[in-house]
This record gives sequence, structure tokens and C-alpha cells, in this order.
Amino acid sequence: MTDRLNRFLAFWRHFPGAKVINLALVIAGLLTAWALISGSIDNPDRYLPSPLAVAASSVDMLYKGLLPSYFGDTISRLLLGSLIGLGLGIPFGLLLGLNRTVSDIFFPIMNFFQSVSGIAIFPIVVIWWGNSDKTVLAVILYTSFFPVAFNVLSGVREVPLRYIHAAYTLGASKFQVIRDVLAPGALPHIATGSRLSIGFAWRAVIAGEMLAGREGLGWMIFTGQDADMTSQVILGMLMIGLTWIVLDHYLLRPLEADTIERWGLVQR
Amino acid sequence: MNALTKFSLLVQGRFGRKRLRRIGLGSIPFIFLLTLWQMNTTFEWLAPVFIPSIGGVIDAIFILQSDCGGVWDILSLDNTCLMTTHILSSIGRVLLAAVIGIPLGIIFGILAGMNRLISTVLEPVGVFANSISGIAWVPLAIVWFGVGWMTTLFIMLNTVFWLMFFNAMLGTRGIAKVYEQSVLTLGGSRWNIFIQVYLPGAMPSIITGMRMSLGFGWRALIAAEMIGGDSGLGFMIFTAAEEFNVEQVFLGVIVISIIYLATDHYLLGPLEKWTIHRWGLTWKPT
Repeated sequence: MTDRLNRFLAFWRHFPGAKVINLALVIAGLLTAWALISGSIDNPDRYLPSPLAVAASSVDMLYKGLLPSYFGDTISRLLLGSLIGLGLGIPFGLLLGLNRTVSDIFFPIMNFFQSVSGIAIFPIVVIWWGNSDKTVLAVILYTSFFPVAFNVLSGVREVPLRYIHAAYTLGASKFQVIRDVLAPGALPHIATGSRLSIGFAWRAVIAGEMLAGREGLGWMIFTGQDADMTSQVILGMLMIGLTWIVLDHYLLRPLEADTIERWGLVQR
Repeated sequence: MNALTKFSLLVQGRFGRKRLRRIGLGSIPFIFLLTLWQMNTTFEWLAPVFIPSIGGVIDAIFILQSDCGGVWDILSLDNTCLMTTHILSSIGRVLLAAVIGIPLGIIFGILAGMNRLISTVLEPVGVFANSISGIAWVPLAIVWFGVGWMTTLFIMLNTVFWLMFFNAMLGTRGIAKVYEQSVLTLGGSRWNIFIQVYLPGAMPSIITGMRMSLGFGWRALIAAEMIGGDSGLGFMIFTAAEEFNVEQVFLGVIVISIIYLATDHYLLGPLEKWTIHRWGLTWKPT
């Protein structure tokens, strides 16, 4: 009997669709466990609504058009904030990295700012601009600018000096060195820094919406808790989690891996 | 050779020329920012409601600690020593979450690295839990545990456990099968493999995970304390901002960053280096 089971498991391991089916089984199991727990506690609507209740609330919110509008708000904030952050951070890091002395001057302060979390400076920004969209955008900009700028700066610093010297020896101009040596050499770090930045920005969007009370997914779960609509809270959390999985696993990680594979320096 | 040259040579020999240059150059922007901050107060460019004076921020420490009775009051988290109470309760939560979350994460991570069935079940759960960033759990945690100690601990544990789990799992998977098989050949049990192969083999990855999880956990904790806490540094800066008490907000932000930087730079960074030096496998069988 165990022999047959082992043979089946060995077959299953190499079956092409096995991974998807495994995942589906795990998800089905988790949903069943969730439904069972929610059925066995008192007052499930408050503490843990059943999957069906969450689905019903999603239908309700779709029908009212709230869910797409919140989702759109959050995504557009993330895009705007991280695009400006990356657009400023990458050139800034590159420029600082060009000169050893300049990069030595700015390295510690960039390190300092990239490790101060954006959420911690949130109260300061609120005092400056109140609970407005400007506040949320400023926090997102702060969180996405520093990680990428710091990563690009350290990427440029790590390009081996001999490559730069080699290019100069062969008669390259300063601009050519930047374009052909430093920028490609720093590309893996640019990719890693961008993914890190967007990840931090995503957290900052959710936190900013909660704290500043601007409409979006973060606001949706925050007000859901206030209004005692736990199914709306769980729906919002599912949306947040799924959006990030799709963004990270299907867009950012492959992009980063491809960049590192194509441009990564294997030093010998 | 006068006294000044002698002194400068002594300092250079003691700390190293390159290091001195780095420290000297690196401190320029900090000094510049502090000067700008001081000039703002002197020339009154921006009102103190928006940017407080440096003296005011330092005074805020004494205002918060004004009625503090002594060491015992500080240690018993008395409300008269607000500053230290908030600092200690934040650090306490981090320590508690680390003590519970890190060993659990390591055990489950290594088990998942050893066993395909466990990893098939736990990996999707972990991916999903990791993508719901710490702060998104706060509303649900408030419903479950109410505002206070349990909610913030739950948020921290959630962040710490899953990051440790993934790092331990990936570390375990990266160990060459040869080591496991040789211990088995020499008559070792499953337990021997766990203690002598998997744990040391995954150690560099585990320590990296520890550094990462404490960094992310600290950020999540500050956010969680703002919404779902009743004490701690996040709570302190958020309530101070609501009262437009800018000095305390600035003080809190500076303390938060100093605590994080000091822990990362003097504790976790060296630990990571030492572990990779001591346990890192440089030789891989082909």
C-alpha cells in the first residue's frame, strides 16, 4: 500500500498540472477551514464573517461602484507617487555616484533617510498640510525616493574602477563612460531598488489612506472597522493582498530577475 | 613638527586615514541640515508651529520626563515618565515578538524546507500573508483584540514570523543533499540532521531574515501603534501631532530612527557578517 502511495507521489511530482491543482486544493482547504471556524463562533458577522458573506459584500460594493473606484484611487496614487519617486531617485543616485568625493559626502545621509520609515514622518507632514491628498502623496514620494536613490548610489559605487579606466584608456568621453559603463553597471541595483521602492510605496499608500482618511482601499478597511462591517474589512484585505501578489510576482520580480541576468556583472 | 601636526598624525594612526575621511565627509550634510534648522529658528522663515527650534525639541524630553520619580518609575512604565515609558514599551513589544516569532518561524521554515507536503500547504499562506502589508491587518486586529498591547503584538508577530519562515525555508532548500546523506550514512537520526545539518546550514539565511524581519517589524510596529496602540513611540508621535505638539513629534521621529539605526548598525549587521563568516558554506559540491 505504501509502495503504491509512494509511486503515486513520485508520479504526481512530475505531473505537469500538479502545481496548479495543489494550489487549488490548498486554497479550497483554507476556505473550508475559514467557513468552519466562522460557523462555530458566536457573532461571526462581527469577528469572522463566512467566505459567503465576504463574497456577498463584494457583490454589493461592486453594484454600488465603490470597489472599482476605491481600487482605482489606490492604484493611481501608487503609480503617481512611485513614478515621480523613481523618476527623481534614479537620476539623483546616478549623479551622486559619478564622483567619489560627492558620493562619500552623501552616502551616510542617504542611508539615514532610507532607513527612516515614511510612516514615521507621517505626523510631521500632517501638521504641515493637514489630512489632504498632498500629505499622502508626500509620504509616498518620500518612501519611494530614498530606497531607490540609495540603491542606485551604491550600485554606481560598486562598478569596478578598472572598467571605468579601461573605457577612458580606449578614449571614451565622460558622457560615454556614464552611458556605456556606469548606467549599465548600476542597472541590477536600479532594478532591485525600484522593486524595493514600489514595495515600500505600496505600504505607504495603504497607511497614508488610513491615517489621512483619503478614499481608497486603506480607507475602505479602516472605515469598515469603524462601521462594524467586518466583511468589508476582510474584502479590502483580500484585495490588497491579491493586488500586491499580482504586481510583485508577475511584474516586478520577473523584471528584476531578467535585468540582473542580462546586466549583472559576474566578476572574475 | 608642532603639537597640532603630532596630534593629527596620532588621530590618523588611531582611526585610519580612509575612515576619518569618510566620517568627515559624511558628516557635512548632517551639519548643513542642522545649521539650516538652526537658521530657520533664528531668522524665522517658517513658523515654529511647522518647524520647532532645536532647543524646543531637547526641552520636550524634559517636559515629558518632568514628574519622573527615579529609576523605579522608569522601569515600572509609570505615566509620569512618558518618554521612557513609550520607548520601553515599543522596545518591549519588539523583543516579545522576536522571542516568540523568530524561533517559531525558524522551526516551521526548516520543517517546510525538509518536507514537501508542509511547504505546499504553508507557502501559499505565507505569500499571501506577506503581501498584506503589516498595517492592513490593523483594523481586523482591532476587531479581534481591541486597541492595545495584543493588537500591536499581533501585527509584529505576523511580520516577523512569515519573513523568518521564508528565509529559513529558502536557506534549508539551498543546502546540498550530500551533507544530509553523509550524516545519514554515518548513522544519524532525523533529529541529528535537523540540529547538525539544517540549522547550521540555514544559519546565514536565518540571520539575514532576522535583520530583515526586525527592520520591517519596526516599521509595522510604529504604524500599528499609531492606529491600534495605547502606548509606544508611534502612539506618542501620533497623539502629539493631533495636539499640534510639533516638538514632541520631531523628538519621536528622531528617537525612532536612532533606535533603528543603532540596532541595525551595531547589533544585527555585525551579527550577520559574523554568521556568514562562521557558518557560510563557501564550498559547494558539484
